Amino acid sequence: MEITHVYAKLRSEFGRQCLFSDRPEEVMVDIHPEPSLASQFILKTRKDQGLQACRDMSEHQVNTERFESNSCGMNHVEGGWPKDINPKDVEQTIRFRKKVEKEENYINCLQHLGSVMEHCIKQNNAIDIYQQYFEEDEELEESSELPSAKTINILRDPNEVKRTITSLSWHPDGGRKLAAAYCNLGFQKNPKDMSLDSYIWEIGGSYGRFNHRGMVLWWDVRKLSEPTERLVLDPGREGNLDRALGAISLEFEPTMPTKFMVGTEQGLVVSCNRKAKTAAEKIVCTYDGHHGPIYALQRNPFFPKNFLTVGDWTARIWSEDIKESSIMWTKYQMSYLMDACWSPVRPSVFFTVKMEGVLDIWDILFKQSDPSLSVKVSDKALYSLRVQDNGQLVACGSQNGEATLLEICSGLSTLQKNEKSLAAAMFERETKREKILEARQREIRLKERSRSEQSREDEAGREDGEDNLEQLIARAENDFYSLVEAEMRRRERREETPQENDVCDEREVQNGVENGKTGDETGNTDLS
Amino acid sequence: MDDYQMEEKTAFIVEEVSKIMKDSVETAIGENSYKHSRVNQWTTSVVEQCLIQLSKLGKPFKYIVNCIIMQKNGAGLQTASTCFWDNNTDGSCTVRWENESMYVIVSVFGLAI
Repeated sequence: MEITHVYAKLRSEFGRQCLFSDRPEEVMVDIHPEPSLASQFILKTRKDQGLQACRDMSEHQVNTERFESNSCGMNHVEGGWPKDINPKDVEQTIRFRKKVEKEENYINCLQHLGSVMEHCIKQNNAIDIYQQYFEEDEELEESSELPSAKTINILRDPNEVKRTITSLSWHPDGGRKLAAAYCNLGFQKNPKDMSLDSYIWEIGGSYGRFNHRGMVLWWDVRKLSEPTERLVLDPGREGNLDRALGAISLEFEPTMPTKFMVGTEQGLVVSCNRKAKTAAEKIVCTYDGHHGPIYALQRNPFFPKNFLTVGDWTARIWSEDIKESSIMWTKYQMSYLMDACWSPVRPSVFFTVKMEGVLDIWDILFKQSDPSLSVKVSDKALYSLRVQDNGQLVACGSQNGEATLLEICSGLSTLQKNEKSLAAAMFERETKREKILEARQREIRLKERSRSEQSREDEAGREDGEDNLEQLIARAENDFYSLVEAEMRRRERREETPQENDVCDEREVQNGVENGKTGDETGNTDLS
Repeated sequence: MDDYQMEEKTAFIVEEVSKIMKDSVETAIGENSYKHSRVNQWTTSVVEQCLIQLSKLGKPFKYIVNCIIMQKNGAGLQTASTCFWDNNTDGSCTVRWENESMYVIVSVFGLAI
């Protein structure tokens, strides 16, 4: 508001004194209250109002214009023909095709298109939509079930005179055919009759035959009149028929055609090489383990270096490299074990049959002291056993000519997670242990040899096989005690988790070996 | 006579001033009804207008303009004033104006220089 006012004043009046006087009070405004006017107004109702000390913000939304889209498929059957060609006319289309093929660009175009197509197809296959995501869960569930076996079928010998089933074989194509070989296991009957009396049951034959006379004969199927080759089973490798061992079982692994193994009546397993020139070289080595005839001999289908033998009252698992003893064995059973075989699907499972008519299924990863499952198949003795290639069907042959078919529960016939690696680890561990034991024994023997003359004589005596009776007894005692202790220790160890420190084992085992050799009966172990 | 004329030029003429005041109120408020949000604006404009017009008179005076706006609520209002001045030369004037919803009181004090 810019108000300026210019005024003039007489000079003489500057500074004139003020003549002020009081002007009395004057009422300027007097308005009387009027209550009637108040009725025109109402009292404003109290209002709650929220207050917030914050910055003022504004909000704004923007949306682009809607774009309608929809997806639809198109089935392109035929098309792309130019206008002047009628697609239904075969001649025209052929002519057009030929013309296009002759064009220069045709090949380049095709190649380019081909790679584009390939890319699309590969995209399609990038994810396997049928992939099982929860396979492990299913497996875990099964392992909690108890193992079981179900008898499906019993096949009886149709003849009146009951004969024993000595051998069974499944048809290799996984079919439901089973061949059973019967024979009268009377004393010394020539088993060459067997082929005439066997039956093939609907729901196989071996090529190497053997007989009790201590020789292995090779037969060519085409020329069954005479054996093509002979090998005398003499442990001294001299081809001396007098010292030959009687052969009971034969192992032939198709993937290793030159090597084969024979199980003998005397409890020896002889490993032989077919390709060797002389008879002496044919016998590579022997494994001594059983007290009685070896009725079954089979390599593990997953780990061919390990094989299973069954004889007397035990089943033993061997490693090819260790000749002194088996790497694992079962405890002495109540009755004779007559036959055994590995499961073709699970590397740690094998089956045995006993004289009291019981079929045992062993799972060495699960429990080593007892079979995982024992099934009483018949009252008569079971003489033979075969597992079908799928691992689920088992046939047992009994003394009175009955072949019983059993179905094993899926827990025992499906490959578990990590089973192969666990079984491999176990075999390796046991093999190592035996190697160490072997080395230790050799050391001790060397020490004894170098110590005195007497021990050298003893050793010579041992070679000849004629020992002083007392020494024999002492040695037998030592062996027995060491075996017992080792078995006890092993059982204790196996009751713990299978994943153990190998170093821990070896140290402990060495202690055990020393204890055993001195004939100590402490029997307690320091599980460090 | 001369004095009277001279006095006229330098005297505080109440009618003149009151007319000026009435005009300015009319101009500023007119027929508006009372609105609390506009009252400040009205008072300011009333006072300003008065003063501008008064200074246009060109008289050697100091002016004091006062404006009160009261809503017609049924309340009463009394104001009074007293002055200590030169009774001969100075003067004051109060204008009371009203419309339907409010009272407007404007008072001007003119003090001769």
